[in-house]
Amino acid sequence: MATDVQTTTHSPQDLTVEEQIAHLRELFADAPEVGRTALERVLNELTSQATDPPPPVQSAGRVGIRLGKISELTIIVPLAPGGAERLRAFLRLLGGNLAGADKVGTVHDMRFVFLDNDTRMLFATAYDGDSWDSYIDDFVTKIPDYLDIMDSAWEGWPGIRSPGAKDYLAAHQVSAEGWYVGNPDLTVVETRRLKRIGKAVDEFLDKIGDE
Amino acid sequence: MTLTDRVGADLTRGRVSVELDDIQATVLRYRPEPYYGTHVMLHLEDARAGRDFLRRLTPHVDSAAEWWQAAEPWISVAITYSGLDALEVPKDSLQSFPEAFREGMAARADQLLDHGDNDPKNWEPAFREGLIHIGVSVFSDSEETWHHTMELARRHYEGRPGLTVLSAEDFGAQPGDLNPLGYKDSIGQPAIEGCGVDPLPGQGPAIKAGEFILGYPGEAGEPLPSPRPDVLGRNGTFVGLRKYQSRVGAFNRFLQTHAQSDDERELLAAKLVGRWRSGAPLTLAPTKDDPELGSDPSRNNNFTYAGDPDGRQVPLGCHMRRMNPRDTKMAVLADVNLHRIVRRSTTYGAPYDPNAISEHDDNVPRGLHFIFVSAKAMATMEFLQQEWINNGNFMSLGDERDPNIGLQEDGATFTIPQQPVRRRVHGVETFNVLRGGEYFFMPSLSALSWLGNLS
Repeated sequence: MATDVQTTTHSPQDLTVEEQIAHLRELFADAPEVGRTALERVLNELTSQATDPPPPVQSAGRVGIRLGKISELTIIVPLAPGGAERLRAFLRLLGGNLAGADKVGTVHDMRFVFLDNDTRMLFATAYDGDSWDSYIDDFVTKIPDYLDIMDSAWEGWPGIRSPGAKDYLAAHQVSAEGWYVGNPDLTVVETRRLKRIGKAVDEFLDKIGDE
Repeated sequence: MTLTDRVGADLTRGRVSVELDDIQATVLRYRPEPYYGTHVMLHLEDARAGRDFLRRLTPHVDSAAEWWQAAEPWISVAITYSGLDALEVPKDSLQSFPEAFREGMAARADQLLDHGDNDPKNWEPAFREGLIHIGVSVFSDSEETWHHTMELARRHYEGRPGLTVLSAEDFGAQPGDLNPLGYKDSIGQPAIEGCGVDPLPGQGPAIKAGEFILGYPGEAGEPLPSPRPDVLGRNGTFVGLRKYQSRVGAFNRFLQTHAQSDDERELLAAKLVGRWRSGAPLTLAPTKDDPELGSDPSRNNNFTYAGDPDGRQVPLGCHMRRMNPRDTKMAVLADVNLHRIVRRSTTYGAPYDPNAISEHDDNVPRGLHFIFVSAKAMATMEFLQQEWINNGNFMSLGDERDPNIGLQEDGATFTIPQQPVRRRVHGVETFNVLRGGEYFFMPSLSALSWLGNLS
């Protein structure tokens, strides 16, 4: 038998749970003490979680991943000259809360983070659906200006109406490799609906409870 | 009967800013009333035979010139990606077509959510294996002219070496112009700007020609991506075909289970679609059918949802409201004008049978060729299947699906908003099962010449 077992040439999916745990322990042999001992303490629990795993993440189109109905979009992009200042002023005007996204109906959250002395930006969002491609044409005709105000802070942004806009986003998008979602089946719309129903049911039960 | 005759004074002529005499008739001519015809699917064994066929047939392919005045039968031609490849269209031209078109409908099952009963592995062989290269259709408003035109078409494709006829499927909705589930269908159509006719009553504002015909500006102001070279793409469009088997037994059983009288059954049937089976829209006939309204093209589409935001007249999840939300305030932001399709659907097989209730009845061949036309037909159909047909999120309906063409899972429901409490009907089944489908390119007449003269 070859000595391949010793090397790391196998892709993780090819290995059994035991082999992956063994591989993980090998990697952690070089980790700081604090990590190494932590791993040993939870090893049994970790092994049983891996043996009976929850649903794995799936792809969300070209780039990006999804869990249940909710996908992530993560973009790292260089900022244009003056871009950080402009975008920061815009965000500050709205108290840092782009609540205008309420009317889009599929956006769970959006995060704008300025990095490396205002030279780069991390933009991250969680949204309902398989891929951001689906509704982007609708954004172009319905809310192009808000998108261009924000995205023009990014170096080389061609404008949302440009045929190159989708390629620009995909080129700067990085797929997450870990994606946990608390309620992967609950879309923004469904959550709002359940809130309305929940309130009505509580009122109804209050009435009955009083009798 | 021409469209002008059918609609009368409500048809007003408008500006023409597209090349009508280069665009194929099917793109703009409305389906005749009554309608008869045949869809012929061809397979090419060699490029030469295919090009010869196109050269011979092209002079007989009708254009959309004066389409509102047309009363004669017409012949149309559409080609799949495999067909373009079989014609040995140059490689860089083939590569310029959209990815979904190049893959073919069977390979797009994940994007179309064609799973379970609709999975391509259950499709008819010609569709399942991507054998279709060229689709030729004959549309007519009389049996006689239909047969006459078919004879002409047959002379060009029958008995030709290098050309195999995979199928020739007759269509028609007689008696009564009713589809297999008993409805008058294909009433609503988009109004297309610059095509010579102003919007008919209820069609809403005209949509930019480029959404339906390649080479012209679309709603966002630019022409949509088009195949190259220009002569091949310009004035062409894409056509999707989805062939459904209608499970009439299951549909009738459903109506009988959830409604007690004939009147109640007809109302339930109306709530599923948004129109009574006569075609009368619920908005204009909320409690009682009005067959005269249903058959009047000047009135049967003339409504909006402004007075019905909660769906108490027209349920938010009914087929018609999903396919064209009009002015509905949806839970998810969308531009309805970007998701419209021209429909040229046809009915095939045994006529509607109100007494069919057995599982055997479900399998009697009868159903719909759902045919849709758009400059971005693949992207539109995949969007509709994912967002508006097999999903209820956009109307706050959770996982509910289109009751007419949705792929239903166990425990599927249909919500009928009403006072004081909504009614939710359980046990919705898949009433139209997918038997096959394909994406086609419908070239302009110039493009057909170009293809026929390739060497």
